[in-house]
Amino acid sequence: MTRLLLLLALLAGGAGASNAQQLLDWSADEIASVGQHGPWPPPPVRDPSNRVSGMPAGILLGEHLFNDLRLSGDGRMSCATCHQAGRDWSDGLAKARGNVELDRRTPTLWNVGYLHWFGWDGAGDSLWAQSIRPLLDPREMNGGPARPATLLRSDAQLACGYGKAFGEKPGIDDEKLLVDTAKALAAFQATLVSPRTSFDDFRDALVAGDRDRAARYPLAAQRGLKLFIGSANCNLCHLGPRFTSGEFGDVGIPFFVRPGEVDTGRHGGLGRLAASPFNLLGKYNDDPTGASARRTRHVQRQHTNFGEFRVPGLRQVGRGGPYMHNGSVLTLEDVVKHYSEVSPDRLHSDGVPVVRPLALSKEQSADLVSFLRTLDTEVPPRPAAPPLCP
Amino acid sequence: MVVAAGIAPAGADELPIFDAHMHYSHDAWTVVPPKEVVEILKKAGVKRAMVSSSNNEGTKMLQDVAPNVIVPELRPYRSRGEIGTWAKDPTLIPFLQDLLSKRKYVAIGEFHIYGADADLPNMRKVVDLAKQYGLYLHSHSDADAVDRHFQQDPNAKVLWAHSGFERPEKVREMLRKYSTLWCDLAFLTSHANNGKVAPGWREAFMEFPDRFVVGTDTFTPERWHYVIEHARWSRQWLSDLPPDVARKIAYENGDRLFGNHAGAQR
Repeated sequence: MTRLLLLLALLAGGAGASNAQQLLDWSADEIASVGQHGPWPPPPVRDPSNRVSGMPAGILLGEHLFNDLRLSGDGRMSCATCHQAGRDWSDGLAKARGNVELDRRTPTLWNVGYLHWFGWDGAGDSLWAQSIRPLLDPREMNGGPARPATLLRSDAQLACGYGKAFGEKPGIDDEKLLVDTAKALAAFQATLVSPRTSFDDFRDALVAGDRDRAARYPLAAQRGLKLFIGSANCNLCHLGPRFTSGEFGDVGIPFFVRPGEVDTGRHGGLGRLAASPFNLLGKYNDDPTGASARRTRHVQRQHTNFGEFRVPGLRQVGRGGPYMHNGSVLTLEDVVKHYSEVSPDRLHSDGVPVVRPLALSKEQSADLVSFLRTLDTEVPPRPAAPPLCP
Repeated sequence: MVVAAGIAPAGADELPIFDAHMHYSHDAWTVVPPKEVVEILKKAGVKRAMVSSSNNEGTKMLQDVAPNVIVPELRPYRSRGEIGTWAKDPTLIPFLQDLLSKRKYVAIGEFHIYGADADLPNMRKVVDLAKQYGLYLHSHSDADAVDRHFQQDPNAKVLWAHSGFERPEKVREMLRKYSTLWCDLAFLTSHANNGKVAPGWREAFMEFPDRFVVGTDTFTPERWHYVIEHARWSRQWLSDLPPDVARKIAYENGDRLFGNHAGAQR
């Protein structure tokens, strides 16, 4: 009955006879479910633990630092070396390449400001804390803890930009300047919001009852979307406007990194989070209320966390392969194949399984890929950042 | 990011562990060879491990390398893919009968069965076989299925995998109801946090100190590299219990129930 009423409502909303066959029958529940994947873009986010978050001067300083090779130990690597604007803020490689090849893929930075755990293992509880890790990691930029401070104090433009952002000259406390560097980097990264897509147009039209506009969305994508929110249950984890819960899961991807070694994923990440002097329970959290540290205070390590990795958002997903935390799945078609054929034996059996083999037909797999590709859109080249202190 | 296998062996003064929930299935054999498994157990301070494997050759491979450490369970799966089909597979019972006629086992399991499926002919026959051979049933199941096991054989010996993922109050209720029911704590974290035993579970351990065992549940090959960490974690929360209770749960119960069979007869 509900379905019929909704169909009538859609028809009354201006359905043209020529478009009637272009729009599948969407139930009220389905429309509600699709509606939860928007609107897009969401309002800008401000991180209370970072006093320059959302501040233009902090964002600008962060963009300059993001592209500054001098933050690395050998002067050959910046954040932008791996997180390339022209590659959807990743690098197109299966495994990230710093000083050495790493064990995980470079995650995209699109929409990163909306997360609450950072990195594939969630070892960071803020974007700024997460931004410290590659600066120091000997396998990545290997900059050393004093390098950002030296740079901020010695480079007149950066010192000026720092003054505008933080309201003071770079001081003598190297660790504070390391953290402030990361906070500026985070302020910049939080502005990287992926553009609207054809899915967003469809979603808005469907929710508004605009049948004509909704019918412009390809039928294959509509079928794929129905699977996504329906029998395939993808939206259990890939939920909301960003298509991610921001949490962690084991989706049956092997996590050996080499003989005798495994990537412990979330389990190890939580250990590193607890041990980090830069977590939100520490002295560098700028949030006087302490509310931003709530998750960190209460999160508990569980056996299930061993081998779990963060559920990635799906916006721009078709442009972002290879896939999974370790780049082990080459194409979007292969990702769908993985979920279609995943072995339940790799997943622990307790209660209703979150991941199960979907056993999709060839047509269903193609439809699902068609839908996922509507979450992509072309992005215009990014202009160079304006000078810090013209 | 990574955990290497190169961790020092557990200290001599550390509480030994009887790990009652391990698997060594076909996909683990080459990536974690038997000698590496034994080395991991040694480093973890696991004195004995009750192992079931899909297929059962994995258990035999470990027995060959460490006969005094490995306690064999007969798993009703020839590959891990049979987890959802075994209960209705007409070839299953002859397969089990064949292996039972050739090798000695301590238990049949771990098998997965829920609710009314526990009354299916295959499950009933497995209960019969356990009775015939004096074996434990290692049942990954809900409370309903456990009830059905005991309806079929009131004297059955059941090791309830994961304590059924039940609340401690329900676990206590079941333990009071059946004197030959034991519980493994594999894959559970609800009973302990930061080295402290959770309320509810503490009462369960104190009321039934002889009825619990620990287990890692190496259900994927990678999880063999969690055994050392899991043993360390177990010792941490066990130290929050009276020493005699901790010893029972850590290894005495496992030794008493299953341990004498290690390396006995193959």
